[in-house]
Amino acid sequence: MTTAPWPYLDTHQSRTHEPTPYEHKLAATLEEVFTKDGHELADVIRGLNSRQVHAPDGAPWTEESFRAEMHRLGA
Amino acid sequence: MTLSTTATAEHIYATGLRNQWHPVVPSDFVAPGAMRKVTALGEQWLLFRRSDGALSMLADRCPHRGAPLSLGKHLGDRVACWYHGVEVETDGTVSSVPGLPGCNLEGKKLVTSLPVREAAGAILAYFGDEAHPEPAELTLPDPLTDPEVEPILCYAEWNVPWRYAMENLLDPMHGAFLHHESHTMYDGDTTAKFRIRETHRGYFFEKTDQRGVNFDWVELCRTGIDWVDLTIPYPPSAGPGGAFGIVGAACPVDAERTGVFFWRYRRVQGWQRDTWRFLYKTLIEKRHWEVLEQDRVMLEAMPADADQGENLYQHDLGVVRLRRLYRAQAESQSAAADG
Ligand code: FES
Ligand SMILES: [Fe+2]
Repeated sequence: MTTAPWPYLDTHQSRTHEPTPYEHKLAATLEEVFTKDGHELADVIRGLNSRQVHAPDGAPWTEESFRAEMHRLGA
Repeated sequence: MTLSTTATAEHIYATGLRNQWHPVVPSDFVAPGAMRKVTALGEQWLLFRRSDGALSMLADRCPHRGAPLSLGKHLGDRVACWYHGVEVETDGTVSSVPGLPGCNLEGKKLVTSLPVREAAGAILAYFGDEAHPEPAELTLPDPLTDPEVEPILCYAEWNVPWRYAMENLLDPMHGAFLHHESHTMYDGDTTAKFRIRETHRGYFFEKTDQRGVNFDWVELCRTGIDWVDLTIPYPPSAGPGGAFGIVGAACPVDAERTGVFFWRYRRVQGWQRDTWRFLYKTLIEKRHWEVLEQDRVMLEAMPADADQGENLYQHDLGVVRLRRLYRAQAESQSAAADG
């Protein structure tokens, strides 16, 4: 058994992978939308679509597609 | 036996209070079928997980001649010491002495095995002394068991005495200064009046003139495990769900080292929960980490005798109270041996 190194100092403990460029862009845009447009789901959908930040298939977001994508990415 | 009842109050104060639960390491530090050596309360331990996930925690000391069991072999449901092959079960019983079958060590429970639980991604263990082997009643921190609340664990190892890590949490005023350049604690008055408010499980140390702006209150909770609860507002960029809370706890590793546990939690469900978790993983966790690093840098730079020559003022009441409590408990735990 190898002895664990001390100290354990890991910036990222909740990730399973390095975020993709798509994930980075989506997260940064979400922060902007939350700051400028509001916190309701409708605000978020409108805010993302008006900024042309679309779902991975290129389609505009709907409440359903956004919920599903967040569920996948936030699991 | 480990954690003897003859330890001095000084030793207990330095290496961690006994007869209660402490967090040890994150659960995923010990994969199924694996084992891991850890230090806690100044002693060496072996965390051992069977392939079915069942976890046990043994003193890392072979009952034969004291070799570390952590150098031994994981046999699925036992560990075999590397030195002469003695096999120890997860409850500390010697199951076989291969060099001398039938030897009278067989069947005897010769290794300390601590009661363990797992909660919200962490391993917790009960560290009783010889006089108190039965686990104290444990009530888990409520934000970690509330199904409406989403906690995410951050664990780090700091070269500081465990008390400094706890005192730092009972010192909300440092938020407005040490963390002034942070994404969450830039706001709030830099002067404040505090009071202590008793609860059935500990006490609040809180500002009398400000709430919901910065790190304005903290509650010490002693529920079989010591933890603190506090709340810090998020900026609007974090989306719906309001402030985030922190459940903080510490594992006293030895007199100089501490494992710190911070569960950031938020009352969010559904898409709000998922979105927060996504933002947390992608962007927020790193910012939280930078705040924590400010604490680490400051605490690790504190002189070893920092608590000897202080000049305290009103903001330090929460710390003074904590110290008194811990010191008294260390004394009674050592005095128990004389009685
Ligand atoms: S010291 Fe472990 S078997 Fe001898
Ligand atoms: Fe801090």
